[in-house]
Amino acid sequence: MNLAIFLEQILNGLIAGSMYALIGSGIALVYGTMKVLNLAHGEFYMLGGYFTFYLTVQLGLPFWVAIPLAVLLAFLLGMAIQKLTIEYLIVRENWAFTTIAATLGLSIVLQNAALLIFGERFNSVPYYVDGVMVLGDIRLPWQRVMIFVVALATIAAMTWLLKYTRLGWSIRATSQDQDAAEVVGIPVRRVYMICFGLAAALGALAAAMLAPISAINPWAGIPILLKGFVVVILGGLGSFPGAIVGGLLLGVVEAVGVQLTSSEWRDVISFSLMIAVIWWRPWGLFGKK
Amino acid sequence: MATDTDRPMLDVRNVNVIYGNYQVLWDVSMQAHAGQVMAVLGPNGSGKSTILKAIMGLTPVRSGKVLLDGEDITNRPAHEMVARGMSMVLERRRLFTGMTVYENVMLGAYHPSVQKHARDRLEWVESLFPIIAERRDQIAGKMSGGEQQMVAIARALMSKPRLLLMDEPYLGLTPRIVQQIAGIIRKVNAEGIAVIFNEQNVKLSFGISNHGYLLESGRVMLSGSGEEMMKSDVIRRVYLGE
Amino acid sequence: MFKPFTLQARLGMAGVLLAMLLLPALTADPYVMHVMVLTMIFGIFASAWNLVTGFAGLKTFGHHAFFGLGAYGSALIAINLGLSPWFTIWLGGLIAAAAGLLIGTPILRIRSMPHVAIVTLGFAEIVRICVANLSGLTRGEMGLWGIPQFEGFTLPLVGPVSFTPADKVSFYYLALALTVLVLLVIVRLMRSKTGLAMLAMRDGEDAAESLGVNLTRMKLMVFGLSAFIVGIAGAFYAHYLSILTPASAVGVDLMISIIAMVLVGGLGTVSGPLVGAFALTLMIEAMRDLENYRLLGYGALIVVIVMFLPKGLVTLRERFFPRPQEQ
Repeated sequence: MNLAIFLEQILNGLIAGSMYALIGSGIALVYGTMKVLNLAHGEFYMLGGYFTFYLTVQLGLPFWVAIPLAVLLAFLLGMAIQKLTIEYLIVRENWAFTTIAATLGLSIVLQNAALLIFGERFNSVPYYVDGVMVLGDIRLPWQRVMIFVVALATIAAMTWLLKYTRLGWSIRATSQDQDAAEVVGIPVRRVYMICFGLAAALGALAAAMLAPISAINPWAGIPILLKGFVVVILGGLGSFPGAIVGGLLLGVVEAVGVQLTSSEWRDVISFSLMIAVIWWRPWGLFGKK
Repeated sequence: MATDTDRPMLDVRNVNVIYGNYQVLWDVSMQAHAGQVMAVLGPNGSGKSTILKAIMGLTPVRSGKVLLDGEDITNRPAHEMVARGMSMVLERRRLFTGMTVYENVMLGAYHPSVQKHARDRLEWVESLFPIIAERRDQIAGKMSGGEQQMVAIARALMSKPRLLLMDEPYLGLTPRIVQQIAGIIRKVNAEGIAVIFNEQNVKLSFGISNHGYLLESGRVMLSGSGEEMMKSDVIRRVYLGE
Repeated sequence: MFKPFTLQARLGMAGVLLAMLLLPALTADPYVMHVMVLTMIFGIFASAWNLVTGFAGLKTFGHHAFFGLGAYGSALIAINLGLSPWFTIWLGGLIAAAAGLLIGTPILRIRSMPHVAIVTLGFAEIVRICVANLSGLTRGEMGLWGIPQFEGFTLPLVGPVSFTPADKVSFYYLALALTVLVLLVIVRLMRSKTGLAMLAMRDGEDAAESLGVNLTRMKLMVFGLSAFIVGIAGAFYAHYLSILTPASAVGVDLMISIIAMVLVGGLGTVSGPLVGAFALTLMIEAMRDLENYRLLGYGALIVVIVMFLPKGLVTLRERFFPRPQEQ
């Protein structure tokens, strides 16, 4: 095989992986703080895609206005959904199961509501940037480069937020010890809500970035959710940095795996990797027991 | 405050707490006055931790009232307590183990009502616990138990409380560290901060407290000053083995 | 938990069974029979899922993998080896059970519910993709058709019994027999020492462990048994409908319907899954014109039940007419 093509595939893997990282880090954020496995996370991606589609294609807004708006909408929607459902379940005795079941139900509701509202048509958004970046023998569309840059910038911003802001401190404190966080004056329930919103926003951002290259339909969130799960298992459930590394790793593994087999086996490769990791290191590749 | 000097700072009235089908506290009443050190004594499972959690708002109170400075704080969320001048050191320290010492301590001044004094408080806390400044960037979870307890107390003091609750401050610590923590409790009290702590060991407790309550099976069995309590038959027989 | 059935409960069960036995005498309408057969297939599936999730406390979300494995396994063996479906449905169950043991092993090492949910979902997805991709064998998305039907036989007094699309009544009785069999197995299991230990395990693993119960072996056994039952339900489904597609036999929609049924009926109860299967299948059929809203309704139902009626329909009676407290 040609080296340039191989490198190109690795780069494409990293680019896909950067999106997986955004999805996975949202799941990790929610699980890390409130120990809730959100099965409706994929639907934030799906809705983020539709928001982007309607804002750019239907309303004709430029992408740099439409994308932040779509992300903001998802943030608000995420918070509202948390406030209306998880908020009540999390204080109950069997919350671990009921939250999983409720978010599963929610995911079905959102998918089918989207189907009724938007129809089953596949919608896509025109490229935000045109042209192809040429680096020696390697050719990458600028659109893909942009995806990667936005993902890295988002990860950097989230890392900064967690490390240096009041909100970030309260999120980290909540994820480490809820009672202790409550005692020092952190409104833990509000932190939950904000984290749910942030996770939704991260999912929507991934959708907005991918909208030009992969179509949006009511079921677009399902494969994304499953990929997100693989990412958080690789990185250790609930770990934000783990999700970032896990996402990039998964992207590259898939790229190499697809080269060795064919693209229809991509998902089998990633799920098998996940089960292998659970077997071997259930706490994740990087974390400690 | 000038209106009624006799009014207790903390007034717990007939508090009942029930976990599932199990009643942990039965009509517990107790009072603590400003500037006092108060001990809540009792064996394991007597409810002495639960009463502190109930006061702080970490455990729901089924019936009864908790008043702080005459204001009803029953079942108010714990995160509001800091603004009312009460803070708590949880059982087994409960630091944010993945965060640095500095981050842990500064989180003690997280609440908006105390945030602006954070710098001054940090200086004061560092003067009480030099280890805070020395180990500033260490990950809290990697410290020894005694060191962690100091960070936990420092964190609780950052909000400038008038009342500090300490849940089993001596638990799992060596005798030398226990002496150190007892010294710290005295120092904290000398700053005019009232302290309520719970402990199994009666002798240890009355070394530093002016007043105490004895809980058994969720009920108040006895209360009084340290001296009175040490003289009581129950205490002498059961807890001092005389 | 598993007290002997009260007289009232016994009479109720006998009544339901009698009604089920007599139903074809009242109406042998193929449509009614078809709906009832589907209800029973889903009822078996739901009962088996409830066995692991409600009784053993292992919250899995990937049982549709076992349904698909049983369905495709039995159908492919019957087609390719020319064996009788009477025999291959058991093989289908065994294939599902083997897969259950395989995926059960890593799950048992982790006690974390989210991990279990993720692994089981991921495993089911692997099965679905394999069924869809191995089109040389399964005909993929095109659908596997021409699956042999059960051979007919002659019963004394009754006469010849045949299993063709026109003879839904015989499928009905076969499904009823399977349902009763599965229920008997589940009730017997729950009454046994193993069942008691299982409930102890659900309500507090440490307690059960200190009772000297081998948790890992027990969980694996229950998981395998549940997969076996679901596999048989899948196999029966295959030979009943004679056509399979990856979406209909291994799709996640199937799992969602089952979860909705069990939650509606009552998780962790014996009759709940069956009541739920019956209620939801009937509801869907009653609202056929609203087919587009079917999944929307399931989803909303799951959310509403979890939030407002966490113990399901069958506990409603107790809520309104509480039994006197036993001493």
